[in-house]
Parts: sequence; C-alpha cells; structure tokens
Amino acid sequence: MPKKSYFNSLTELPANIWHSIFRNPLPSSDLGRSQTSFTNFFLHIHPVKVNKHTIKPWFTMGLGLITFFLFVILIVTGVLLMFYYVPSTEQAYNRMLDLRSSVAFGTFLRNMHRWAAHGMVAAVFLHMCRVFFTGSYKKPREFNWVLGVVLFLLTLFSSFTGYLLPWDQLAFWAITVGAAIAGYAPVFGKEIQFLLLGDTTVGQEALLRFYVLHIAVLPLVMTMLIAVHFWRIRKDGGLSRPEEADAASQPQGESLETWPTELDVTPAQPAEAVQTVAAPAIEKKRYGVQGLVRGPFTKVGNVPDNSVFSWPNLFMAELFVFVLTLAGVLVVSLLFNAPLEEPVNIAHPPNPAKAPWYFLGLQEMVSYSAFWGGVGIPTLEVLILLLVPYLDRNTKGVGRWFAKERLLANTLFLTFVIVNIGLIIIGTFFRGPNWEFVSPW
Amino acid sequence: MAMAKKAPASEPEQTEGQVTRRRMLNWLSSVGLFGSAIVSVFSNLVFIKPRATYGQPNRFSIGKPEDFPSGTRITLSEQNICVVREGEKLCAISTVCTHLGCIVSTSETGFACPCHGSRYDQDGNVTGGPAPKALPWYKVTLAPNGELEVDKGEEIPPGTYFNA
Repeated sequence: MPKKSYFNSLTELPANIWHSIFRNPLPSSDLGRSQTSFTNFFLHIHPVKVNKHTIKPWFTMGLGLITFFLFVILIVTGVLLMFYYVPSTEQAYNRMLDLRSSVAFGTFLRNMHRWAAHGMVAAVFLHMCRVFFTGSYKKPREFNWVLGVVLFLLTLFSSFTGYLLPWDQLAFWAITVGAAIAGYAPVFGKEIQFLLLGDTTVGQEALLRFYVLHIAVLPLVMTMLIAVHFWRIRKDGGLSRPEEADAASQPQGESLETWPTELDVTPAQPAEAVQTVAAPAIEKKRYGVQGLVRGPFTKVGNVPDNSVFSWPNLFMAELFVFVLTLAGVLVVSLLFNAPLEEPVNIAHPPNPAKAPWYFLGLQEMVSYSAFWGGVGIPTLEVLILLLVPYLDRNTKGVGRWFAKERLLANTLFLTFVIVNIGLIIIGTFFRGPNWEFVSPW
Repeated sequence: MAMAKKAPASEPEQTEGQVTRRRMLNWLSSVGLFGSAIVSVFSNLVFIKPRATYGQPNRFSIGKPEDFPSGTRITLSEQNICVVREGEKLCAISTVCTHLGCIVSTSETGFACPCHGSRYDQDGNVTGGPAPKALPWYKVTLAPNGELEVDKGEEIPPGTYFNA
C-alpha cells in the first residue's frame, strides 16, 4: 500500500466524518434545500415546502413554538435543578436556600425555571386563543385542538405539582387547598385526594408524589402528546390558511417543464414531503410529487402553489422565535428573582393565602362555592373546550383572524376569555386578608 | 360425514350471524388483551394507594384535665384542634376549615379562615363565607392514666361535652 494514499485518506478523514453525519452540504439548489429538510432527523418533522401564509409572523405570532421552546427550557433547567434538589420535607427548603447561596447560577437557574413555567402557562393559553380566533380547529384539525386542550391542562398540572417542591408557605397551602378541591369531585373525590397526597394531610408522602409527577410522569406524557400534536399538524394538512392562500397567485416565472403533468398532479396541493393522499377535506384524490419518489431522497418540482422552501424560510423563522423566547426568559430571570416564601408552618396559613396568578381565577370561584367553583364550573369549561370543534359546524372563516363569518363563535370565546381573566384580576388585586374585598389603590 | 358438514360452514355467505372459529378466537383474544390492560391499570392504582400512612395518629393524648382550667380556649397547632373548657364542660373542635382545609384562626367572634374568608362562631357553626358545614367536634375521653384523649376518627354532634 503506497504511503501517499494512506496519507490522503487520513487528510480526508475529517471531511468523511462530517459527511457521514450531515449527508448534504449547505444547500444551494432547490433539490439541496428539499434534501436538507428531508434527510435531517431534527428537520424532517417539517415539510420540505410550506405555504407562504404559514410563515406570516402575525398569523401565528409563533405562540405554539414559544410554548414548545419554553417547555424545552423547562426540561433543561429542571434537569439541572434536580442535581441539587431533595424531595424531603426536612431538606427541600434548605436546598432552596443553598441554591441561592452556594450553587453557581443556582438562583439564576431557578429564576429561569420559574419564569419559563409562568410563561408557558401564558403562552399555551394565548396559543389556544390564536387557534380559536383564526378558526383553526375546524375539520380536519378537530382532534389536534382536543390534544391542545389536554396539553393545556397538563401544563397547569405540571406547574401545580411544581410549586409544592420548594416546601415554602405558598407551596404547602396551595397544595392543601388544591387537594381539597379535588376532594369535592363527585363519587371518587376523597379517593383522588388520598391518592394524590398519599396521606390524609399534606406531608412527606405528598411531596414525594408531587415530585415524581413533576419530574417523570407529566414531562413524559407531555413529550409524547407534543410529538403527536406536531405530527398531526402535518397530517392534517399543515397550518390552517384561507382557501385563497393555496391558489397560485403568480407563476413567479418558474419553469413548468419539469412538472410531470401526465401524472394528474394538481398544483393546488400544498407541498408535502411524504404525504401521498391529499387531506380529507379535498374531495378529489390528488398526489404530491414526493409520493412518486422512490429511494431516500425527495425531488420537488417548481409548482406555482404559493409555497416556499422550509430551508431557510421556516427554519429561520423558528430560530428567530427560539432566540427571542430564550432572550425573554434570560432577561426576566436577570431582573426578577423567583419568589420563595417563609418555610412551611402547618399551623398558620399566610393571610391571604394566594396561589400563583394563573390559579387565582379558580381561587376566586372557590371562595363562593367549593364544589361549583372548584369542580363543577371548571369541569364544564373543560368539557366545552374539548367539544368546541364538534359543536361549531360553521366551516367558513378558517385561517383568518376574527373572520366576520365567525362573529358568534369569536364573541362567545372572547367572553369566556374576558370572564376568566377578569376573575384572575379580581383574585390578584382586589382580594386582601381573609379574602375580603379590597381596593388596590 | 362430519367433514362434509364442516366444509360449507367455512364459506363466507353461510357464516353470516354465526360465530366462526376465527371470530371466536378474535373475540377471546381481544377480551384477554383488553381485560389484562384494565386489570394492570387497576393494579397500578392499588399499588399507589398506601395501606399505611405515616401521618399523625387519629387518637392522641392532650394532657390532664387540670391543664385546661375553666375558661380555656386554646388551639393545639400540631393536632389542629381547639380545646374549650367552660366550667366542667370540655370539648375539642377541629381547626381545619371545612371549605378547603386551611387552618382557621381564633377571632373574637369564633373562628375565621384566612384562605377564602369562611367564618364560624364560638361553637364552630358557619356564620359566613363559603364553608359548607360546621367545624366538627371530636370525641374526648379520659384514658386510664388520667389524661384526656381525643379521637379524630370519631365526630360527635356539636354541643356534646365531656364532663371533666
């Protein structure tokens, strides 16, 4: 074996390794752009091409992505915090103090985790509002709305289980009240309360249970459901958009010669890398060109279908949202410290004992009636939310904000939003000691 | 003869409404699979329901009757009860709010809950707020060693006093 060829292969080694990981060079052609999206594991959940309407910033405002990125930030910071946390009533609070005093970036990581959690609750709610006001839950996206509502509830439950963990006054009394609300559920209420707490009162067993739910059960379930939620976006035909967004606005001077017209491929079909059958809403069976491709690569014709390549258009938009989300969390975490109240005193609840802002609407309602405010009305609200796409049979006004055709539905939902935000505002600002009405000014 | 009878039975048009071997096996295996799934979910629930708890015992001693002179109205914060003695009459009232489990504090008019504003009178009857029922009274007995014993497992009607 000549020495030179050995040396040559050695100099080529870095490039070989690089190309074994990244199969495609940075794309410079449409084929390259589609292959990059198609062959990269982390990119392949995206379609090769997206409709221009989908990446308009003011249509989605990136709210779903913000929610997801906050979830990722929560996972990362949460795992880091686990290195120092002990779920024991004796140690938990001291560990919180240790995070402040003797762990590098301890306060900062806890701030990030807390504010990202608050942000996620807000973002997931705003995301739900966006989907409603743009009519995006309609056929064929009904079930994805249902999954979204379930994810919203899981987000709330995650934050609820999370704030027992510092074992401070807020933690203890919020969980005492929360578990007691569960106890008002019909038939199995007391059983649920006992299973949740592992005891008759909030104590070591409850702390351990909430810890396991918070760090293992809920993140796993949520990760799985988020995956299904994303998967279904594509299987349901991409993000919702008005009908005219699919129409070819201008041919854009692209060559149509490469388009295999004899295969009855209708250009109106949004580009979809592997989807072969059109979304059920479209009555005529149509085939996307990728469906005809054999082998590991995809080929995309230039169709005047008002779509653009995901690389770089969609990915840049996503990166932008990620950077913005992370920057937001970092800035808030630098400016504000996560609250930590007095250590648990099981004899004296703080007065007033207030939950975090997103549960104050619920707390306001239970101050009138424990069953109706804590179980009856919330259950009814969740049921209605789950059934929204099946109750609303109006097919018009999809993909546009506040469409005129959806005036009734939008008004009803806006009322629902305003009432709940109003309750939160009352609970936050207008309630003082002994939950008596006070004026904030 | 048996073979001849069996052969036409396997033809699809004659099996309408009949249970074929295949359908029977499908049915049995489905029941078996879903049944074991349900049983395993149920056994998980049984697993996470503790048989013994590590919390406070229901019965506990609070001291001798002499420790509570007449006119006493004292809250035992560890046990979450308020011991009241007027003359010879003694009782133990729960200080756990019947609304959502916060600890009520004693006020001039009785008890008040800081969480959602429930109010009770001196005997624990609801006078305001969202509390659905009165604070329970617990049975007080005299143990053989001369100490008072409270049993949180046994609620007694309000107004039933222990005679010290």
